[in-house]
Amino acid sequence: MHLASSLLGSVSNFGSPQGVTKQDGWNHLLWNISFWFALPITLLVVCLIGYALFRYRERPGKERVPAQFQYHIPIEAAYTIIPLVVVAVIFGFMFNAENQQSKSPAPAAGNVLKITVDGFQWGWRFVYPNGHAEVGTADYTNINTNSDLPVLYLPANEPVQLHLVSLDVVHTFYVKDFLYNRDLIPGVDNNVNFTVKTPGIYQGQCNNICGEYHAYMRFLVQVMPADQYNQWYANQPACSVTTAGISGPPAPGTCDSQLSKGFQAGL
Amino acid sequence: MTLLEDRPQPPSEEHNPLLMDIVPGPRPAGLVKYITSTDHKQIGLNYLVTGLLAFVVAGIMALGMRTQLIVPNNHFITADVYNQLFTIHGTIMLFVFAGPFGFAGFGNYLVPLMIGAPDMAFPRFNNLSYWLYLGGFSLLMAGFLTNNGAAQFGWFGYAPLTEAIHSPGPGGDLWLVGIALTGFSGIFSAVNIITTIFTLRAPGMVMFRMPIFVWNILVTMFLVLLAFPVLTSAFALLWIDRHLGGNFFNTQKGGQPILWQNLFWFFGHPEVYIIALPYFGVVTEVLASMCRKPVFGYKGMIAATLSIGALSMGVWAHHMYTTGAVLLPFFAAMSLLIAVPTGIKFFNWIGTMWRGTIVLNTPLLFSIGFLIQFLMGGVTGVILAQPVLDFQLHNTYFVVAHFHYVIMGLVFGGLAGLYYWYPKMTGRMFDERWGKASFILLLIGFNLTFFPQHDLGLRGMPRRIETYNAGLGWNFLNELSSIGSYITGLGVVATVINLVKSYRSGPIAGDNPWDAQTLEWACSSPPPDHNFEALPPIRSERPVWDANHPDMLTKVGH
Amino acid sequence: MKVESRTIIGAFVFLVILAAAYWAMVATYGHTAERSGIAMLIFSFSAYGLLGFYLLAQYFRRHGTPRVEDRFDATQEEGAGVIDYFPAASIWPAGMGLGMIFGGCALVWGLWYLYIGGILFIGSVIGWVTESDYTEDVLPGIDPAELADHEVPSGPSLPHHG
Repeated sequence: MHLASSLLGSVSNFGSPQGVTKQDGWNHLLWNISFWFALPITLLVVCLIGYALFRYRERPGKERVPAQFQYHIPIEAAYTIIPLVVVAVIFGFMFNAENQQSKSPAPAAGNVLKITVDGFQWGWRFVYPNGHAEVGTADYTNINTNSDLPVLYLPANEPVQLHLVSLDVVHTFYVKDFLYNRDLIPGVDNNVNFTVKTPGIYQGQCNNICGEYHAYMRFLVQVMPADQYNQWYANQPACSVTTAGISGPPAPGTCDSQLSKGFQAGL
Repeated sequence: MTLLEDRPQPPSEEHNPLLMDIVPGPRPAGLVKYITSTDHKQIGLNYLVTGLLAFVVAGIMALGMRTQLIVPNNHFITADVYNQLFTIHGTIMLFVFAGPFGFAGFGNYLVPLMIGAPDMAFPRFNNLSYWLYLGGFSLLMAGFLTNNGAAQFGWFGYAPLTEAIHSPGPGGDLWLVGIALTGFSGIFSAVNIITTIFTLRAPGMVMFRMPIFVWNILVTMFLVLLAFPVLTSAFALLWIDRHLGGNFFNTQKGGQPILWQNLFWFFGHPEVYIIALPYFGVVTEVLASMCRKPVFGYKGMIAATLSIGALSMGVWAHHMYTTGAVLLPFFAAMSLLIAVPTGIKFFNWIGTMWRGTIVLNTPLLFSIGFLIQFLMGGVTGVILAQPVLDFQLHNTYFVVAHFHYVIMGLVFGGLAGLYYWYPKMTGRMFDERWGKASFILLLIGFNLTFFPQHDLGLRGMPRRIETYNAGLGWNFLNELSSIGSYITGLGVVATVINLVKSYRSGPIAGDNPWDAQTLEWACSSPPPDHNFEALPPIRSERPVWDANHPDMLTKVGH
Repeated sequence: MKVESRTIIGAFVFLVILAAAYWAMVATYGHTAERSGIAMLIFSFSAYGLLGFYLLAQYFRRHGTPRVEDRFDATQEEGAGVIDYFPAASIWPAGMGLGMIFGGCALVWGLWYLYIGGILFIGSVIGWVTESDYTEDVLPGIDPAELADHEVPSGPSLPHHG
């Protein structure tokens, strides 16, 4: 049952999952182009191998002399040039998609929501412009509980910029439904831009080995319609900290360090 | 004790004693031979047996990991042990098994035989490199015996996780030293094999008559010479950080963790081709021999190998697309370009099979297995070479599936070679039934293990996680994958049984059981010390075939 | 040596072009850490250049007389004779390897291992070097006249540099 649904799911779009951001169209385009080239080539190669194996297999009693030929310049030229063309076409589409994807949303837009994402062993801290922070680490004994996870609240259909900062080792910000990975590397400042279309709750996870409890370094992304988000945001006092769903008053001096961590790179 | 080696004489009527016969000297046997031998064949066998042992050991680690992942929220092993297992599994598979098994194992055994040389250029150096290799393997394994356990940061050990404050204890140091020793072993082998190929060829064995396997080993060895020094220097920096308070990878003091990634992958991507090229060569030899035909585009094949070697020096950062600190178009273009020479190789392999007489025995089946698996790995490689798609799939199980298809493809190639040269190495024929059973088990088990992982990656399962949440739709695919891994294990057991059983009781094979083409089949099985009693004239890239079938010489086409 | 040297010089030229292109792109668009890539590419083409031009020099030194292994029409008779010196079984590589492994352990657990490793290493080097005294002790117990019988008198006995 599960297998059947997974196979059927794979047929449309060659198995690529649906994303929820405005940028994911480029992924589908490239994925489909890759498959339109890859499937015929793979089938051709497999069929040629299969045909040769069947047609030219050694059959006892039917001895035949193997042909001792070598080199055929036209064929050799063809199987050099055609792959070159295919690769060039794929590269052209990819180059265009990559440029378009990294351009959107236009950085000039002044209303971009800027959120700092801090990764640490083994949890996340999301710091909002007013200094409010959402922090959480997982329950290391039971991965099935989601109650302790930190939540990244985002508005739908509005451009968001995430500033990715690692507080210790290399982590990766990965939300499967965004079809996107980006590393948090000490010494490298990464900003990523999103516009999420569909409200909902999405699973996120660190995607780079970062020590013992790497598997538990998860988080949730809650995408809300803009008015709901604004309401939520208005209810968060500046510099307050919400740890694992329980909000508390700001600890003295916390806000400065949160702001300085996240905003040191001129965000 | 020393020997001077005579160039083998052409076959002649009158008895002409070889110099070897008249030189007195120790002919050690057993353990003493294993330790002291300078014979390239003994050392090659040492590498092959040790490599196979490493394959089994690291495979058992993989079974441990798959057992941990068979159900969600599992606590079969702790996170700590799981991290050690995947780190050492990856390290041993790449540095101790896949690489040395090909270029040092097959390379040592076959290169002198294939070019008509009596031994390697530096036989004692050769022996030394085996001991460094064994030492590296032992130190990697010794990590498990230390208090904090073996290294836990993955086989590419991204700084700063590898720094002393995040990974204290000797486990990480043993990982460093173990890999560095196998690296030195690789460099010594490279110097040795390159010198052998350049200076010890038989008369008439010009460069463009060497078997494809020898060409591939040559290019591999050049990649080793460039890649391993970079890795060793990166390790020196990391060791200074860990022990002498250096700050190369410490941001607080002005270091750059991403420097490690650049250094490591500058080694790491050529390493992929260091692993792959020898098995490309093995498969080419097996296909040509089992199809009774010359390699279709011999020079095209060499050109493809050379361009893979050259291009592989310019693709290292395609492992780092998601860092946001690399030139995406440059590395994407170079990575996509590598698909072209690889494609040329595929069509050459098909051309070699075309209109031949294909003998469907175990070595050939394993070669076909290699073609199919590697094709799958190559296609997913083209997908991952595109930055936009890599942003989606980076470090997920899709990547795991991709490189396991590549590397298990190479393992199929390695087993093809092992079966193909088994009669030459031991003098005995293996058991076809066990060989075919092993092939079928491996093919089913392997695909069952890794094909579902493509889908797992698309469903967002990150690699290297010790366990996972039950509600993400990953349970059934993981179950399939784990069951497949046990079947793969059975397939390996079947091959090991076959090899051991046939070594003791297989039928005597004879010098040239496959009616093969290249020079190693001109000496007896197993070859004597210093290899050749007599060499046939070398007038093409398949001298033994020419001597046995003067009526079926190569006809050059258009 | 022609094919050998040209192959490696070809790789050298490719890597020079690659390094130049990469340098130009990094200087324009790249991240600071990518300068390490330029350094590594320079190292790579230097290494290939060193070897390639050495082999080319070897090729020119022969003034157009190719070695037997470089001639398409060479027969086995032409190559007969002494090739090189091949040592028999020896314990010293194992000792030297053990010394280097102990040296590696010193990097993990401290200097004590280096003392053991150093003694093993130096001892093995001495053993290795004295064992292979090519000039004095080539073939003990063998009549040199017997050796001479194995050289083909008319062969163009080109020297082999092992």
